Amino acid sequence: MDWTFVSNLILAGVRMATPLIFLALAELYSQRSGLVHIGLEGLASIGSLAGFLVSLVTGSPLLGMAAGAAVGILVNMIYAYATITLCAEQIVYGMAINIFAPALAAFIYRVYFGAGSELVQVALMETVAIPGLKDIPFLGPLLFDQTPMVYLAYALVIFTAIYFNKTKSGLNFKAVGEHPKAAATLGINVIGVRYAASVICGALAGMGGAYLTTCYTTTYVDGNVAGRGFIALAAVIFGRWSAGGVLLACLFFGFCDALQIRLQVGSFGVPYQFFQMIPYLATVVVLGIIGMRKAGPKASGKPYRREER
Amino acid sequence: MKNTNKLVNILVPLASVLLAFLIGCIVMLALGANPLVALQNLWVGAFGSLRNLGTTLSRATPLIFTGLCACFAYRCGVFNLGGEGQFIMGSIVCCVIATQSGITGFPGILLCLVAGALAGGLWAMIPGLLKIYRGQNEMIISIMLNYVATLLMGVFYTNWLRDGSVPQTVSVPKETMLQRMFGLRFTSAFVIAVVIGLLTYYFLFYTSKGFQLRAVGLNMTAAQFNGFAVRRYILVSFIVSGAIAGIGGSAELLGTQYRLINGFASGYGFDGVSMALIGQLHPLATMLVAVFFAALRVGSTTMQAATGVPTSVSDIIQALVIVFAVAGLAMVKLPEFKAAIDKLSAKKEVK
Repeated sequence: MDWTFVSNLILAGVRMATPLIFLALAELYSQRSGLVHIGLEGLASIGSLAGFLVSLVTGSPLLGMAAGAAVGILVNMIYAYATITLCAEQIVYGMAINIFAPALAAFIYRVYFGAGSELVQVALMETVAIPGLKDIPFLGPLLFDQTPMVYLAYALVIFTAIYFNKTKSGLNFKAVGEHPKAAATLGINVIGVRYAASVICGALAGMGGAYLTTCYTTTYVDGNVAGRGFIALAAVIFGRWSAGGVLLACLFFGFCDALQIRLQVGSFGVPYQFFQMIPYLATVVVLGIIGMRKAGPKASGKPYRREER
Repeated sequence: MKNTNKLVNILVPLASVLLAFLIGCIVMLALGANPLVALQNLWVGAFGSLRNLGTTLSRATPLIFTGLCACFAYRCGVFNLGGEGQFIMGSIVCCVIATQSGITGFPGILLCLVAGALAGGLWAMIPGLLKIYRGQNEMIISIMLNYVATLLMGVFYTNWLRDGSVPQTVSVPKETMLQRMFGLRFTSAFVIAVVIGLLTYYFLFYTSKGFQLRAVGLNMTAAQFNGFAVRRYILVSFIVSGAIAGIGGSAELLGTQYRLINGFASGYGFDGVSMALIGQLHPLATMLVAVFFAALRVGSTTMQAATGVPTSVSDIIQALVIVFAVAGLAMVKLPEFKAAIDKLSAKKEVK
């Protein structure tokens, strides 16, 4: 065990945690408004395709991220309409999104590239070092020499923590997820907040997906989200529905992911699939250990109807 | 009123299918194909001859298993999204027994099916136990276990049971393969699937245990107050649901694939959830929906050859059906919609 191994591990862990942070924050906003969203996996898959295509056509990974966000919002509006306006069961509809969005992504990819099996690749986003901070010994190059998206993810975590705890608007937002009827009597527009949450959720989930094709791997393959949408759900539970907790949970799962890749390289004569299982098994073990204490928003999962008394 | 409800429950999925096909046709037009020719080829490819019908039934078989798997658990109010993992675990154990035990013929097949059911049931027991003892989200756990099962299968076909230089397992011996029926592509696996579907239907709707299981699914708190052992029902429904998928995995291996290989069973779990949701958790309807979507997939190959429309358009249509059906079924439950229906039927009575 030498320093390069450890520093490479941390570097990879931070990089792997980033898409999880986007996805988990997406889930956090959705659940805080009372919408349990298990369709993140689907949103991320269509986001990753949009990110891939746009950065391929324009040559700009940043535009790719923006496209991922836009497409994420569009697809999530279907979910929002069905669950908020039509009061469809959230779990069931999230599942519908998980089936619909990846199918759409796969179809668009086939149509765009034809049946040819030629592997198309895009350039990844360049890292931008933060002057001053990157010169901190050891940690500097690991944490402050990353792509702008990594910084954005951390900025979003800080913003979310402040928003939900220190601002009136954030407290109103949380009230909608805890007790929509009480919130409505206080003059909060419950339906409006839930739609707003869905826009944020769609954008963040789309970006989480787009990160995979603009900052992580150079190409799109079906199934590239690889369960991250669900691991992010687990991260929200593990992080006890708070921005800081979610960040720590994502870093933990990110490191599990980084660890499995490093161990694969080391091989040790064990079939590599056993290492690949690490992030998934870690999720099961963590969820099994912490159990489901009732810490989430109380009205999460329940539809809201204005005329119901 | 009850009759209108039933009618609406059938009309909504039908309307969703029509709407999905309509959008499918628009997409085909946009791709420069004639939708009518495409649809005709789709039909011919799926049902045009006995041979094609056999292929359709063969493709439907695994979907019926995973559909019933999703259906059974959700009837008890728990979401088993791990059908794919349970299916794969069944097929892995089946593969080991079929290729290593030396037991062949009918006893071998029977042993494989039972072992597959056990493997699937045990794999589903993990999320079941975590659900009842730790209150943990069964959906995330069961999905994570799908990935673990898929990777474990990878160990078998790249390493432990690898067949020479090709990354696939050795083949199931000829004597243990399920026989084809009437010289067509589908095997007795289809019959097993249908029998299990009928048994599920009978159990859920004609036995008191099945009634109690559905009661737990409809209202857990009320069932608890009535003294039903809610936790036991949840665990049992998980195990049975996993066992159904596990038998499916065995049957698919012995009847169609013969070897584990990259991509085996990929997507079957979520497909099963689609079938169950569109079939509104009714076992018989779920089976019909599975045959319908299998037809769509089989037919789309012919369609692609004739018109150049990619086969993945069938996945889009399937996905659209579920997006529309679930939203539609929620819409008809809205009070505004119910009021409108009542008004309509009241008018009719006046006339």
